[in-house]
Amino acid sequence: MAEKKITTKEILEAKLADRKRTPLYNPDVLEKLRQEFEQWRNTTVHEEDRKNWHVTPRTILGSDIPREMLYTPLSNPDFDYMQDLGYSGQEPFTRGIHANMYRGKEFTMRQLTGFGGPEETNQRIKFMLAHGGTGINVLFDLPTIQMYDSDDPISKGQVGMSGVAIDSVEDMDLVFKDIPLDKVTISLVTHYPSNTAILFPMYLALAERRGIPWDKLRGSVQNDITLEEVVRSGPEYIPPKDCFRIQCDNIEFIRQNIPLWNFITYNGYNLREFGTSGVTEMAVALANAIETIEEMLRRGHDVDWVAERIAFFWSPASDFFEEVARIRAIRRLWYKITKYRFDVKNPRSMWMRCHAQTSGVSLMREEPLNNIIRAAYQALAVVLGGVQSIHVDSYDEAYSVPTEEAALLSLRTQQIIQTETGITEVVDPLGGSFYVEALTNDIETRILEEVDEIEKMGGYVTAIDKGWLHKKIAEYFYNERKMIEKGDIKIVGYNIYKAPVELPPINVFRYPEGVEKRQEARLARLREQRDNEKVNAALTALGDACRRGENVVPYTLQCAKVCCTEGEIFKVFKKAFGLWRPHVLW
Amino acid sequence: MAGKIKVLLSKLGLDVHNRGLITVAKELRDAGMEVVVIGNSLPKEIINTAIQEDVDVIGVSSLGGAHLTLGGELIEEAKREGLKERIAFIMGGVFPPADGIKLQEIGFDATFTPGATREEIVSSIRKIISQKVDRSID
Repeated sequence: MAEKKITTKEILEAKLADRKRTPLYNPDVLEKLRQEFEQWRNTTVHEEDRKNWHVTPRTILGSDIPREMLYTPLSNPDFDYMQDLGYSGQEPFTRGIHANMYRGKEFTMRQLTGFGGPEETNQRIKFMLAHGGTGINVLFDLPTIQMYDSDDPISKGQVGMSGVAIDSVEDMDLVFKDIPLDKVTISLVTHYPSNTAILFPMYLALAERRGIPWDKLRGSVQNDITLEEVVRSGPEYIPPKDCFRIQCDNIEFIRQNIPLWNFITYNGYNLREFGTSGVTEMAVALANAIETIEEMLRRGHDVDWVAERIAFFWSPASDFFEEVARIRAIRRLWYKITKYRFDVKNPRSMWMRCHAQTSGVSLMREEPLNNIIRAAYQALAVVLGGVQSIHVDSYDEAYSVPTEEAALLSLRTQQIIQTETGITEVVDPLGGSFYVEALTNDIETRILEEVDEIEKMGGYVTAIDKGWLHKKIAEYFYNERKMIEKGDIKIVGYNIYKAPVELPPINVFRYPEGVEKRQEARLARLREQRDNEKVNAALTALGDACRRGENVVPYTLQCAKVCCTEGEIFKVFKKAFGLWRPHVLW
Repeated sequence: MAGKIKVLLSKLGLDVHNRGLITVAKELRDAGMEVVVIGNSLPKEIINTAIQEDVDVIGVSSLGGAHLTLGGELIEEAKREGLKERIAFIMGGVFPPADGIKLQEIGFDATFTPGATREEIVSSIRKIISQKVDRSID
């Protein structure tokens, strides 16, 4: 391991230590307030409340941050408007990455779609767009996510469930039938670096087929090592360092060739859902981002060139104000890191752009209609926080993938916020709240502490390899489970206010029939009709590139063009890098 | 029946979600059972491991929608190996209530969905095992 490196926290402390602050509050007035506060505490506040001034909300996926009973200027006496908040669209970006936020560009309503074969998902995509969805978000089935073909024995009985089956560029074509790739933004939930290197080229090959130049394509891929190596349970893994290499290969290739595409959406969501606090969720994403930028610099790239298109993906859970505050906290922290640690020059490089998906783990099987309310509040919180795009989980997702009706309701949740509440007419409406500003500060400090912890142990990839992150997560969710069982975390309809009678059942989604057989037949035809010499040549060339340390994506692109299947490409990775076993979690 | 209840836990098929399985593994161990966890596995593998490890319970976790397809295969494989009477079969995960009933009809002794408590799972397993023992004595 390398010699002791200076950490991000240390760099920021050094660079920001001497900044002169201009406190907003008049110190004489503050002193008077302090006296009044003491007076109030001793006369009007109950003894009970004096003793328990700080209370910690216990919520699902909570961060255990204590709250005062009442927030006042005294909660943040040193408040400096320009340094801590500034104006929206300007450093430090606490209030928003754009001056006009939703007045200028509404948040994208990007609901996940994916089930069955490409034809079925194509229909659901069209349905969502027809009802006002403004972004596409495609989720793949488990065989596709785990990078096996639909006709692989390991995929049996699982094709087209919980996502859409994609085996080759032909399936990509069908998923996006009649969809103008140059007119809509498309998120491909490719999860892993390996999967991104396999599936995204199929999308690029499709664009080429349709005569759409790559510089017209807008959208995002996930491409996150956290998903491949930490969050996922899978039969086979490549080692973390090779996974990280592919993550960076993807970034490099996409940045060079598809300029409007978001090459990574730092997790975030899946990690938190697995089991961590909102603070750890963000610390992990930052640690990953920092290490990525360092690698890209090592490869000789300009920092602004990379940072400009970095994006994040968060999981808003139940603690309403924590969710608002942490979006603001990370927006300010990302600015500090990009500017003071990495010396970016372009303001765009300082923007914490993000997508948010309401927490799935907070949804209950009991009284599923309650989930509509839960998801609505979670969506509201991130709108108040200022995110760029949103997916709202559907109320029936504790049962299966959503029915059309439930998916539509999720879309309506976003539309009602956007068009009926008036919230989007004002930028950062909670800015200046004594509570929200104090909480934003607190969360920023906590996130940076955890980033520091990860960096001190050798960096993010090391933290994965050592099993440190796996252990932390396992402890968190085991503890959360106990708290729910004890009733410390209260959940309506589950451990509190339980309904005395069974409620009528809801409509649950039924998977279409015959998808597996259809995909198998397609694959058989594909393997027959394609030029198998070209296929073998492409796969061999890819293997060589893996071993030689070249960027793998031009080679996976060639594989996609000659109709290699997903499983065939993943096999090359496995053979080239060998298999890794993650830390045992229990 | 002497000794600890021995449980084999497995992810069914390619399902990526780990949290429930690991939680239940810990809880069963804390409840005094002997627990073997294998990762993503197909029915045949699960049955082979169950035979090797000589377990009393097989618990599989599925959130990916394959509970009936692969779950059904698991039961079929168990019957082929003559294990159905001896071993208890449990399914945990995300699936509609109607499918939970179907699973029990095809041979699962119990099913658990999100929200099932430690107490429910542990006592259910103990009850099923003692019933199997009673039946085998007759």
